[in-house]
This record gives sequence, structure tokens and C-alpha cells, in this order.
Amino acid sequence: MEKQSIREAYKRYWLENGKRPVSVFALCKILDAPETSFYEHYSSMEGVENDIWLDFFQRTTDQLREDETYQQYTAQEKLLAFYFLWVQKLKEDRSYILLQKERFHFPGSQYRQLSTFKKAFYEYASGLIKEGYLTSEIKERKYISDQYVHGFWMQALFVLKYWIDDTSVNFELTDAAIEKAVNLSFQLIHSNTLDSLLDFGKFILARK
Amino acid sequence: MKEQTNIATGKVERAGRLVTTGLKVGTNYIKHYTRKLMDPSITKDALHQENAEDIYDTLSNLKGSALKVAQMLSMDKGMLPKAYTERFAMSQYSAPPLSGPLVVNTFIKTLGKSPTQLYDQFDMKAANAASIGQVHKAVKDGKPLAVKIQYPGVANSVKSDLRLVKPFAIRIVGMNEVDMDKYFDEIESKLLEETDYALELRRSQELSAQCAHIPNLIFPVYYPSLSSDRIITMDWLEGKHLKEFLLTNPSQEIRNRIGQALWDFYQFQVHKLKKVHADPHPGNFLLREDGTVGIFDFGCVKEIPEDFYVNYFLLTDKEVLKDEARRKEIYTNLEMIHPTDTEKEIVFFSGLFQEMIRLLTLPFTVERFDFGNEDYFNEIYAYMDYLYNLKEVRESKVARGTRHSLYINRTYFGLYSMLSDLKANIKTAL
Repeated sequence: MEKQSIREAYKRYWLENGKRPVSVFALCKILDAPETSFYEHYSSMEGVENDIWLDFFQRTTDQLREDETYQQYTAQEKLLAFYFLWVQKLKEDRSYILLQKERFHFPGSQYRQLSTFKKAFYEYASGLIKEGYLTSEIKERKYISDQYVHGFWMQALFVLKYWIDDTSVNFELTDAAIEKAVNLSFQLIHSNTLDSLLDFGKFILARK
Repeated sequence: MKEQTNIATGKVERAGRLVTTGLKVGTNYIKHYTRKLMDPSITKDALHQENAEDIYDTLSNLKGSALKVAQMLSMDKGMLPKAYTERFAMSQYSAPPLSGPLVVNTFIKTLGKSPTQLYDQFDMKAANAASIGQVHKAVKDGKPLAVKIQYPGVANSVKSDLRLVKPFAIRIVGMNEVDMDKYFDEIESKLLEETDYALELRRSQELSAQCAHIPNLIFPVYYPSLSSDRIITMDWLEGKHLKEFLLTNPSQEIRNRIGQALWDFYQFQVHKLKKVHADPHPGNFLLREDGTVGIFDFGCVKEIPEDFYVNYFLLTDKEVLKDEARRKEIYTNLEMIHPTDTEKEIVFFSGLFQEMIRLLTLPFTVERFDFGNEDYFNEIYAYMDYLYNLKEVRESKVARGTRHSLYINRTYFGLYSMLSDLKANIKTAL
């Protein structure tokens, strides 16, 4: 038994029953495998849920890495390409994701499903940010620039949420949202607007 | 997080932008009246200038259909104070480009392949920006191609954009809302058509084939297998836009030849096909040194209803216009006389119309017409100015003219202004 087939079985169970399997035993029953083989791959069903999200991410970045044009992109374009491809991948499992949304008022209070994906995304985003420093697309600011990666994570969640609620044909409004969100974020971390804002804030606070 | 709260996608954000403009325009008025207090001789030109800039900035930020409305307004020179038109005329060329990844994404989503897989060469940098899309240059089998890509979400935003632009349009044109509605319905239906690239492809192929026999016109070949509802691929045409073309000092003979080709193109469509390429802004035509014109972009095609056609072109008939009863009947059919008009108003406006029609249809009534004749256009502008400043006209808030006349007038305005820029002397008789 492979991780992949466990994930597929888990998703399928959700799609057909609209709820999570009552036990690992029940899940293994439809896989026609003993329960022990499940534990060779995962320790619990939470692990499977997490891995489903991580899998979307990994398949996206794997495909991007192989793409020649992607290699020539600037950091901003790379992030755009990532989001576009990512929502394409999510589309294949939209029904499953919508069910998760019902369950958790997603992605509000329940982030646990996303925790391993979050870690991987942070790594990916910090890579992009470093690249941005080199090409001076992104301005390095003391203390502040360490926070950028959190901003990008919020942006990823925004994209996810927008896509979940998107009712336009072919999700083309999500495309527009991604384009605008990424352009805005890069303009903010590149331009002097943020610096002026910080400078102003420091000035006001220092006068007290 | 700053990034999150500032994302400009929804209607609320768009509305916000327009509200800001509203405030700015309001401020401009205050500035104007303050200045006027100090210096009574000041004219409204500066005010119009400032308003036009603020409104233009907002509209170009919104892109899409709002930009289209700006273009429409810029076409009807004379209907607007000069400052507005000059500023809006710029909207015909500039709009910020789409990112490379979004272009690739559009290809993958609608054609299943990336541009590098579909073409031998694909230039990621847009060669040209249009109001609802942008054009890229590509090469396949040694042939240069133009690939037009639509911005995502344009069709979705047409309705809400128009609703947002309406208050400005009402303010600028000075018309009541109910009457404005019939024009906005027309604009909306045309804009929605323009976002339908499958329809545009069909029409382009159809109309180019039907007009192919007209001398000196060049139409690109379209490639349906490389097109989708977001992408149109056609031959790349060489040539210059009107302004750049004129800088090369083309001879009178060449200018006449181009002018004649354009005139014939429009006459044939209006009178024979009863369907017309209704977007005659200079960006849609490529002029070439040998006196030929490349024509593309059949996104906006107006189909002319029969009864409108009959009435509209009766106006070019001098004999008919002499008969007062007939004339009034035609004006009523064309809704140039409003049901609420009093007898006195009917007489007043009929007089104005008659003069306007005499002026505008002059080229139709002679064998040859010289569009290089500046006196003619100055006379038109002077008359428009005169109309614009007439108290009765300014205070009349009703719409004059059927919804169909909107695009037909726009077409002729566009044609006249191109011919006038070309200073073409052409044979106009049918």
C-alpha cells in the first residue's frame, strides 16, 4: 500500500459520504488492507489530511521546477506562476476542499490541516524573498523583512479563500485576484511607501 | 497585514476609487469657484482640465469597460469640452500590461498548452495594450502572428463598472438618468459582445471575407485552432497607427488612397451588409506606405435595424428635408424629438437639427469631398460649441436620438476624424 492510495481512498470516502471515516479500520476496509499497513505510512487520519494539502503544494512546485520559462522569471512572476498553477491543482479536488470548508469554516479557525503545507510554503516563500533581495526586487529592511514571509502566507490563504468562494466561469476572477494581490504585495515591499510609513510611525512614537 | 486589507478586487474597491474621484471633482469645483471669486475673468477650461485628469486617472486604473466608456466619450468630440476629449484620447493607447505568468495561465486554461508549445516563438512582452486585452507577437512556421489575450474577469466587471461610471457620464453629458439608461443598455450589450472572443473570431472571418473585394484593404488571416474564448490568433500586420504614419509625411496621393479605402469600407458595410465595424478608433487600423490599410478587431460590430437605416439615411436626402411634415416624422421616428417636448421646443430643436444635419451630411451630398478642408471641421466644432453653450440645450435633460444612433454616430465621428487627420480628398458619391 502506498501513501498515494491512502490519500485517494480518504478523499473518495469524503466525497461519497460527506464525512470522515469513523476509524482507521473503516478506511482500511475499503482499501482492502490490514490496519497495520496504514500505520506504516501515517500515524493518524490528521496526518492524511495534512499530506493531502502538502501534496497539492509539492506537485505544483515540482512542475514549476521543471519548467524552463519559470526559471527565467523574477521572484514576483514566480510567485504568480505558483498561485496560478496551485489553484489549477486544487481544482482537481475542488469538491473535497469544499467539503473541508463546510467542516471547519475553512480557513478560519482550523489550520491544523494546513500545518505541513504551511511549513513547506514558508520555505518556498523565503527562497523567493532571498531571490528578490539579490535582484533588488525586494528591499531588505531590518526586522521588518523577516515578516514578509508571514504576509505571503496570508496572501496564499486569501487566494485559497477567494478561490473557494469564486463563482465565476473557469474561476477567472481568481486569476484577476491573484494578479492584483501579488502586484500589490510586491509593490509594497519594493517601493518606499512602506519606509515612509515606518518612518512616520517612528517619528510619532518618538515624540511622546 | 497590510497586503490583505488593500487588495483591489471587489466592487467595493472599485466603487471606492470612483468615490475618491467624485470627491476630487468636487474639490476641483470648489477650487474653480474660489479662483473665480478672486479673478472673475477665469474660464471653465482649467476646471475641465482638472476634472478630466482626475476622471481619466480613475477610469484607467479600473481598466476594462470603464476604459471603454472613456474611449467612447473621447470619440464624440464636440459632445464634450475639449479638455476632456484630449485627456480621454490618451486612453486609446495606454493601459498597464498583464504579467507573464497570467498570460501563460490563460493559454493553459483555454487551449491546454503553453505558448511555447503552440508557437515557435512567443514574445512575453505585450506589443500593444487594448482596453480589454493585450496583443503579443508570435512566430509559427516562419509566419509572424498577432495574439490577442483578454484580461481575466472583464466580462464579469462590465455590468458593475457601467453602473459605477454612470453618475459621471450623467454629469459630463448632462442627461437625465432614465434617458441615459437606453444608451447604457446599448453600451452594455455591445461591451458584453466585445468580451466574447468566439463571436469576434466568427465575425472577423465573416466580415473580412465580405469586404475582401474592396481595393487597398488588407485583412489578416485568423487561426481558429490557435484561438479560444480568451485568445485570438491572427496574422501580424505591418503598418503604422495614424499619428505615427502622418509623421512620415505621406504624399497627398497616398493619403487619398487610404482615405478612399476607409470610406469605401464603411459605405459598403453600412449600405450593403447593414453591419458595421463600429470601433473606428485609430488603434484598430494600420496604415502602410503603399496606400493600403490593415483592418482588424471586429469586436464591436453594430447591426443596423432596417427601419432605423431607412430613417437615418433619409436625412441625407435634400428633397426629403425640404418637406416639413416628412422631416418632423423622421425626427420623431429617430427619437430626436422627445415625447415630452412642447410645440415650441419642437420648432426650436428641429431648427438646430436641420443645421447640424446639413453640416454633417455635406460629404454625402457631393461628388467629391475634401476632408482636408479645415473650414468645414471648424464650422462643425463652432456649431457644436454653439449648441453646447445654448441655454435651452444645456437645460434640456432628455436624450435625443435612438439607441442605435449611438454607435452609428460614433462610427461616423471616428471615420470623419480619421479622414480629417489624413486630409484626404475622396470620391464620396455612391
